[in-house]
Amino acid sequence: MRGIQNIISRHFMIMIMGALLCGVALFTPSAFADTEKSLPPRHILVAPEYPSVVVPEGESVSVDLTVRNGGRQGETIDISMPTVPKGWKAWIKTYSFKVSGVFVESDSSKSLTIKAEPEKGTGVGTYVFPIRAKTRDGRLTSASELIVTVEEKEKEEKKAEGINITTSYPVLKGPTDAKFEFSIEVQNKTDAEAVFNLAYEGPKNWDVNFKPSYEDKYFSSLRIKENQSQSMAVEVKPYILAEPGEYPIKVKINSDKAKGEVILTVVLTGTYKLDAGTADGLLSLNAYQGKPATISFFVKNNGSAAQNGIKFLTFKPESWKVEFTPEKIDSLPPGELSQVEMKITPAEQALVGDYSVAVSVEGEKSAKNMEFRVTVRASTAWGWVGIIIIVLVVIGLVFLFIRMGRR
Amino acid sequence: MQGISAVYRKEMADHFSSFRFVILFALIAMVSVITSYMAGITLKESLEGVAKPQFVFLMLFNTTGAMFSMVQFVAFFGPLIGIVLGFDTINRERAEGTLIKILTQPIFRDAVINGKFLAGVTTITIMLVSIVLIISGLGLILLGVVPGAEEIWRLLLYIVISVFYISFWLGLSILFSIFFRSIATSALASVALWIFLSFFVSLGASVLADMVAPANAPGVDSTEAIVKNIRVKEGISLSSPMSLYTKASATVIDPMRKTTEALVLMGPMEKISAGRFQNPLPIGQSVLVVYPYIIVLIALTLVCFAISYLVFMLQEIRT
Repeated sequence: MRGIQNIISRHFMIMIMGALLCGVALFTPSAFADTEKSLPPRHILVAPEYPSVVVPEGESVSVDLTVRNGGRQGETIDISMPTVPKGWKAWIKTYSFKVSGVFVESDSSKSLTIKAEPEKGTGVGTYVFPIRAKTRDGRLTSASELIVTVEEKEKEEKKAEGINITTSYPVLKGPTDAKFEFSIEVQNKTDAEAVFNLAYEGPKNWDVNFKPSYEDKYFSSLRIKENQSQSMAVEVKPYILAEPGEYPIKVKINSDKAKGEVILTVVLTGTYKLDAGTADGLLSLNAYQGKPATISFFVKNNGSAAQNGIKFLTFKPESWKVEFTPEKIDSLPPGELSQVEMKITPAEQALVGDYSVAVSVEGEKSAKNMEFRVTVRASTAWGWVGIIIIVLVVIGLVFLFIRMGRR
Repeated sequence: MQGISAVYRKEMADHFSSFRFVILFALIAMVSVITSYMAGITLKESLEGVAKPQFVFLMLFNTTGAMFSMVQFVAFFGPLIGIVLGFDTINRERAEGTLIKILTQPIFRDAVINGKFLAGVTTITIMLVSIVLIISGLGLILLGVVPGAEEIWRLLLYIVISVFYISFWLGLSILFSIFFRSIATSALASVALWIFLSFFVSLGASVLADMVAPANAPGVDSTEAIVKNIRVKEGISLSSPMSLYTKASATVIDPMRKTTEALVLMGPMEKISAGRFQNPLPIGQSVLVVYPYIIVLIALTLVCFAISYLVFMLQEIRT
């Protein structure tokens, strides 16, 4: 019996020993880790990446939130923001959705995002966003807070709420009958694709259209993807009777969430239009070879801007002379009329018949052409000489008849 | 006046009954008709497709058909009519001894020459009018174009100029028939002068012009030289009544002709300016352009007749 007992106890001992050995072998690594980094059994921590931020007025805030599990076991942590300052909306999210709980493995951390959006009218000040984290069983908690300081925004950025409108040439200058095309660039600064409505406030009777650059169609709304920009053109046709001056046009671009506006300025210099003609509309005159003939015509400023230095240019046959009195008109206010005398002297050798003399009335920015038909007539000065010759010959003949007749 | 009308009537009767006149008239009428017919045919072809031709009727007279136009023909051979009608007016009467017989009648001496000259002019007028009428009739049939008022006036003026031109040659031949007793001599003299004035003057004019103002002399601007040469040539050839007549009648017949000069210097601007309105001249302007030519032609004719008259009146005729 004693022998059997011994064997059993010996075996038991070996088993124990073996079990012990096995246990030692199994638990050795953790025993070593424990010695290097003595982890508490459970520990959590929540903290924003940047605990206090400064943003311009109206901008939303987005800060990374680090949730750390420093304990020996994985934890499911509930995260909440117990109170949100007045005038703000805040939530915690990952890339794609809002979160209120996160599982963090032992000795690791997860990154979330705190997003805070001010409501309209949220003023300057310091806002505190408390953040609470606690384990599911409620034994561990961690608190932190995000401090957002809202600064007064710079004036330029105040206008553009989510839209940035830029134009290279905000002021265009030209005559009243011209077409002005402003090229503007619209940037969608929100992070959502949106359709923007286009509107304008301009002077009465003016024609303002929105169109793509270099294309001849008009649109009234524009779709822009998030954080992208699109260039477009604003075409402005002034009212034809508009006085010269400066005209601002306010272009407003807005979507549900964003709006922006830009002021474009058109500077009208007035129209340049010259008219010329004769009082009775007759553009023909008679002239004798080498003898001057005069015709008077009027020059009228039909534009809305003054014309300066109006000159007269002629297309005429060589060796003809065309003179104007006055030689030029220094200044002609809008709507005014000026009378010009034109003296045309055909060349001595000019053939009998019709000639064309073109007169170009040239102002600084406008010109008017007229064509005169000059009928050159044969001079009758020698007619008398011819008649005298014939009369003398006939008198001589009659004298002969009387003297010599009746023989 | 009674004397003149008697001589005039007799002379007319002589003209129209003489074979010489009939043959000459037939010849001239034939040639005129042929030239106009040719002109008509050419015109008809060239006017096809032209939207609105102007003064087509007048073109009948100045279009060179096969050889020459009606106007050119009268210029060359019209003088022959005058010469044929006049070269033996006085010296034939004298040779046949009828002059003294006439003058023994109650007819004054001036009535003889006046009546004869007037009869010649009348014959020439009848001839020209009938030729122009024949051609007009032919033109109406060939072209189907009715002449406008201005065209008729131009034709009338053309007839008047032509009558004076041929009358000049009539007067000249009467003068020769007074000067020369021999009929043959006066005929020859007239023909010689006709050939000289019609052909040699134009030839001599170009020779003289080349001598006086050579067209391609070294060291002279060629355009100027050419113009000067042509001016000299034209000046000299103006001494020929034919040249006077050709220029006058061509301008009267062609409303588009604006100058009598053969060459006109025109700058490029002037050319464009003048070419802008291609209008025909009104008849008054055409006449004014050739006015000096017409005056000289009429004066020449009258002076020529006056000299014949003077010479005849002062001549001893009884021998």
